[in-house]
Amino acid sequence: MTEPLLELRGLSGGYPPVSVFRDVSLSVKQGEHVGLFGPNGHGKTTLLKTIAGVLDPWDGGIYFEGKRLNAVGKMQARVSHNLNYDLFRKRRINALDVVDAGLIYVMQGNLLFPEMTVEEVLDIAPRAARNRPGVAQMRRQIHDLFPRLRERWTSKIRYLSGGERQMVSIAVGLLAMPRLLMLDEPTLGLSPKLRIELSEAVRNIRETGVPLIIVDQNVEFLTSLVDRLILFDHGTITREIPAENMPKHAELMDMMFGGAH
Amino acid sequence: MGFEAFTFILMSGILLGGLYALMATGLAVVWTTLGVFNFAHGAFVTLGAYMAWQVSQSVAGGFGFLIAVATSVTVMFCLGFVLHFALIKPFERNQNVVLLAVVSTLAAASIIENAVLLNWGPRDKQIAPPITSKIDFFGASINTFDFVILGIALFALFGLALFLRRTTVGRTLRAAAQNREAAELMGLNVPKLFAITLGLSAATAALAGVFVGSLRFINPTFGADPLMKSLIVVILGGVARFTSPIYAAFVVGIVESFSAYFLGLYWSPALLFAMMIAVLLIKPEGLFGHRSKTL
Repeated sequence: MTEPLLELRGLSGGYPPVSVFRDVSLSVKQGEHVGLFGPNGHGKTTLLKTIAGVLDPWDGGIYFEGKRLNAVGKMQARVSHNLNYDLFRKRRINALDVVDAGLIYVMQGNLLFPEMTVEEVLDIAPRAARNRPGVAQMRRQIHDLFPRLRERWTSKIRYLSGGERQMVSIAVGLLAMPRLLMLDEPTLGLSPKLRIELSEAVRNIRETGVPLIIVDQNVEFLTSLVDRLILFDHGTITREIPAENMPKHAELMDMMFGGAH
Repeated sequence: MGFEAFTFILMSGILLGGLYALMATGLAVVWTTLGVFNFAHGAFVTLGAYMAWQVSQSVAGGFGFLIAVATSVTVMFCLGFVLHFALIKPFERNQNVVLLAVVSTLAAASIIENAVLLNWGPRDKQIAPPITSKIDFFGASINTFDFVILGIALFALFGLALFLRRTTVGRTLRAAAQNREAAELMGLNVPKLFAITLGLSAATAALAGVFVGSLRFINPTFGADPLMKSLIVVILGGVARFTSPIYAAFVVGIVESFSAYFLGLYWSPALLFAMMIAVLLIKPEGLFGHRSKTL
């Protein structure tokens, strides 16, 4: 049994004072692809943002390759409204440490940098790779993966379509030479044609062996990609389904919402 | 008014515009990147001018002027870098960060002004201009140094624009300005980039301060006027593009010098403020702006 790549132990978090997810434990092995499925507004994105270090975790631990990424202990409640409390309260996780470790998060519906061109964005993206090798090769790979981006090379992100923006976001994530890539709803709000194109790209990324955590609302897309499906409901993991008995869309709806759906 | 006088006023307006462009760009860059308004900008101009004066006192000649400029710009860059961590970073997670930054930068302006007063005294000083010759320009006799100043100011702005567009560090700066969260997820050290921005802004302020100090007299409180003019320029021009405040700076400079000739010196601020109010009423995003602030 190899050591897990990413391990969450009893992780809780949210937007203070609102708790969004509680006591989430999960482990992802090297080379494993995990799908996260659940209704909107139940905390999947908040969970990923917490792992990525954008939000402070409230309790529990995030371990990447055995190394702890967040501060030990529970987050203290705000004690004073008069002092500049933020001056004394340290962040409990640093997004830079997470990126350093190679845990890369691709935001959903990402606006990215609206006034920069595709070329400029992809030029600065490898700074997250922190001298991990293979950036030059990844650049070539991205050209094959997203031929559409080459046509839009000098356009500003602002003028790109939603799908093209998503492609840039994923390309940025890949150029960071991730050791684990978290994709948050890569097919959100895309036309069927673009959705197919993007699914194809994600499939190709999967072939390269980069471990993935994918959140998506499209069950067929998700089940065809992942080794393990995790159902996320009301801020916690309710069920894990291995690849052997991947459910159909209708079955999954039954599982989550009961037969009435 | 003869053609000669017209040329003379126009040229002095353009020179003023160049200086305002330098100051206002620094202010606009901080506004678009850090999202706060730096009220210490005028104090940066003052401190930069005094530092250059100090150096030019000990090193004589045209070469001394260059050393003075270089020292002042470098020191002010470092000071701006450090001040980000003292003035703005402690409040960045507070929802009232804009208001708190107003107070903290105003405090810094006051401290810097009084430190200058304590150190250099209240008497007017002038940095000796390295070039004192005049040249004939379309009938008007204009200082050669004015052209040099205008050239350096525009060159500095061009260099800054090139730095932001072409270099990797400049591009990461713009990235941090446009989407902080995405920049952090990209592994960029956002506080450091913000500090560099404030440093660059302080450096341009110092450069402008040296030029003002060699054209006019400086005293510990003269920074208030450049700050006010930069504010007018930024509001008038908007911050949609890097060049927006630069165009507006030349408009303000030329309007100021013509109104000083026709209406009198005391009326030109009133006219500028009237223009600013008119722009705010009719086109709030600025003459050369559209509805977004970017770098």
